[in-house]
Amino acid sequence: MSSNLEEQSRTPPFVRLAGISKSFGQVKVLKDISFDVRPGEIHALLGENGAGKSTMIKILSGLHQPDGGRMEIEGQPMRFASARDANAAGIATVYQELLLFPELTVAENIFLGHYPRKAMGRIDWTAARAGARALLDSLDCHDLDVDTRIATLSVAQRQRVEIAKALSHKARILIMDEPTASLTEKDVTRLMEVVRSLKARGVGIVYVSHRMPEIFALADRVSVLRDGMMIDTRAIADADEATLVSLMVGRSIEQLFPKGEAKIGEPVLDVSRLNHGRLVRDISFTLKRGEVLGIAGLVGSGRTELALTLFGITPATSGEIRVMGKPVSIRTPRQARDLGLAYVPEDRGLQGLVKSMTINENLSMAALDRIAPGLFLNFAEEARRAVDAVRRLGVRARAGIHQPVGELSGGNQQKVVIAKWLETRPDILILDEPTRGVDVGAKAEIHAMMSDLAAKGLAIIMISSELPEVIGMSDRILVMNNGQVTGMIDRADATPETVGAAMTAQTKSKEAA
Amino acid sequence: MRMLLRHETILALVAVVLLVALAFQSSQFFTGANLLNQGRLMTEVGLVAIIMTFVIITGGIDLSVGSILGLTAILTGVFWQNLGLPLAAAAGLAIAVGTFCGFVNGFVITRFGVPPLIATLATLALYRGLAEGISQARSVRGYPDWFYVLGQGNLFGVPTQLWILIVFAILASVLLATTRIGRSIYAIGANEVAAFFSGLPVNRTKIAVYTASGFAAALAGVIFVSRVSTTRSDMGTGLELDAITAVVLGGTSIYGGRGSVIGTLIGLVVIQSLKNGLSLAGIKAEGTAVLIGLMLIGAILMTTALNRRRA
Repeated sequence: MSSNLEEQSRTPPFVRLAGISKSFGQVKVLKDISFDVRPGEIHALLGENGAGKSTMIKILSGLHQPDGGRMEIEGQPMRFASARDANAAGIATVYQELLLFPELTVAENIFLGHYPRKAMGRIDWTAARAGARALLDSLDCHDLDVDTRIATLSVAQRQRVEIAKALSHKARILIMDEPTASLTEKDVTRLMEVVRSLKARGVGIVYVSHRMPEIFALADRVSVLRDGMMIDTRAIADADEATLVSLMVGRSIEQLFPKGEAKIGEPVLDVSRLNHGRLVRDISFTLKRGEVLGIAGLVGSGRTELALTLFGITPATSGEIRVMGKPVSIRTPRQARDLGLAYVPEDRGLQGLVKSMTINENLSMAALDRIAPGLFLNFAEEARRAVDAVRRLGVRARAGIHQPVGELSGGNQQKVVIAKWLETRPDILILDEPTRGVDVGAKAEIHAMMSDLAAKGLAIIMISSELPEVIGMSDRILVMNNGQVTGMIDRADATPETVGAAMTAQTKSKEAA
Repeated sequence: MRMLLRHETILALVAVVLLVALAFQSSQFFTGANLLNQGRLMTEVGLVAIIMTFVIITGGIDLSVGSILGLTAILTGVFWQNLGLPLAAAAGLAIAVGTFCGFVNGFVITRFGVPPLIATLATLALYRGLAEGISQARSVRGYPDWFYVLGQGNLFGVPTQLWILIVFAILASVLLATTRIGRSIYAIGANEVAAFFSGLPVNRTKIAVYTASGFAAALAGVIFVSRVSTTRSDMGTGLELDAITAVVLGGTSIYGGRGSVIGTLIGLVVIQSLKNGLSLAGIKAEGTAVLIGLMLIGAILMTTALNRRRA
């Protein structure tokens, strides 16, 4: 390993950034960045949301042009005017939001924009399909059919298509932006194998991730960005998790999952034999005041579907819901809200926020009745509440409450969604992946906030794909598989093994019988 | 918000320059009588365009307004002449039917999830067909004199219908900028899913907006009849395009989520003064159409450029 590293450090970098800076309007997003990637190296890039990682990636991939500094490819100065230029120079990017065309096939997507041609400029489909096959095979993806439409593939499969697409451009450097954010454990393992095989072929990889175990398993070097500055670049052997986290946030994180003791009160939500479609089948549970009920399960186990049914987005087809002991019918989110439910959805960009509107306008959106008892909006009251919420939740926005939320970092956007729902003064708060795509600092803040809310008597349902989070934060854990409850585990008994076993168990009914 | 104001400021400056330039082209243009008369001619498109602004901000479109105008005009004549209702009642009833036509648009769009473009394209044909079927190609004339006050008379020296347009515009501006409904309209246009997830009454708001659009077109229909003293089934043909042009020229995003009533009003003024001023200056109608087309492209490029600078 170390001799390998020494050998690598002698290899000249394929791409090098020197003194790169970039501003948007008045705001300096990147300051004097120096960074390089060598062939066959996995270079992890760490940083909180808003640290400047995305901007740096976009400069490397030609989407943004730097204001100052130099970029070199194999020692030659280079300027990219577009993503096409970067592709041509051998730099490809796999973004977090996969950018494939769902209605086209795997082969069509891989070669989109640079199809192999026959005479008269006709597309050579045979060559395209064979090329796609070869690329996928080289990634050990023999199970993927090149004629399948993208829409029918899983996230992990789509990601492999994206990687094949990058390779079809003969990429020498592959930038991967949080590639494992929405993958299951099994797919993560497989992705890591793919990344290692690319490395073995001499492809340099920029690996952006928040997940420490992956970074330590894969990376050769690691760079940390903070507030637009490159704080440190070091060999992975010289780094440990605590150091990296403190470099990243500029302070030490005391405790990641601080669910404190809360007084568990009377039941507020009583669900019995709830059904909707294939993924919500005969679900029963009780939620009490001051309690955090974690919902664990694999992707596609019906966790989010259960939340959508509770919140009236896909209303239940049968079963009973009682709120504060009273049987209720929830057919729309509006009814759910009026009954004291709040739902912080999984996809904050699409479902949680109106990105073009300001923090102020987003915060009042679910509680317009409170700032407009009649027809007219009380703008002064709205602003007062917004200023208060922004301070209370520690939302960092440089232009204050009138900044469009689309300009905020992921963690701050998530705080706005949570704050928006707290404005409705709910009794029951459903959080769907509350810390996905959120940096370590904001994550700790969100966990502390949940703890605090539970202590004040709020009942919380938290859906999460991260086992440590579920186990650390929950008083009880409801485990789902295939649309059914396969386990209800108390805090005392919750370990990765017990929860993990329930996640793949068939049904609970036998056990109960 | 700042960006919207910038678009409107630029357009207002264009309008001023245009008015000055046209005033130099023809001595008849910048006279009180001519300008007031242009206001009279602008009212029907204006009423429709103001509510079209709402529709487009929600991310929708209403192509059926011209047909609703025609149907309302025909029904006013038929209710009065053939059914023998008092004219005021006939006009009121016709407006009610026109408003209902708008409600049907909203209902079809929200209940069955039909894209607004398709739904209102269908009702564009449907309502026009009804108007033609009911009228049987006969026109209705000979309305009582008091009725012409609406379309041809003056109030305090200003055309009667211009007062209606002014009141309508003020109410619409206030509604859009300062009320819950206005806020919901912007939110729905910018991100309908998030608006729904936030518990906003998405369908109810959309139905209300299309119903209001039907009402505006119907009101414009009655004013139209009063202005031209007759009723024909082809009235209002192509009106939807004039209204949409004014809205888009006024800076409202065709993708929804952005726009304002004041922008639409400036857009209307620009179009009307171009049409009138150029014809006074002896330029043919085709030339004017080309110029309006070019201005529209210019406006869209400007919006895009302003957006990009922000992004």
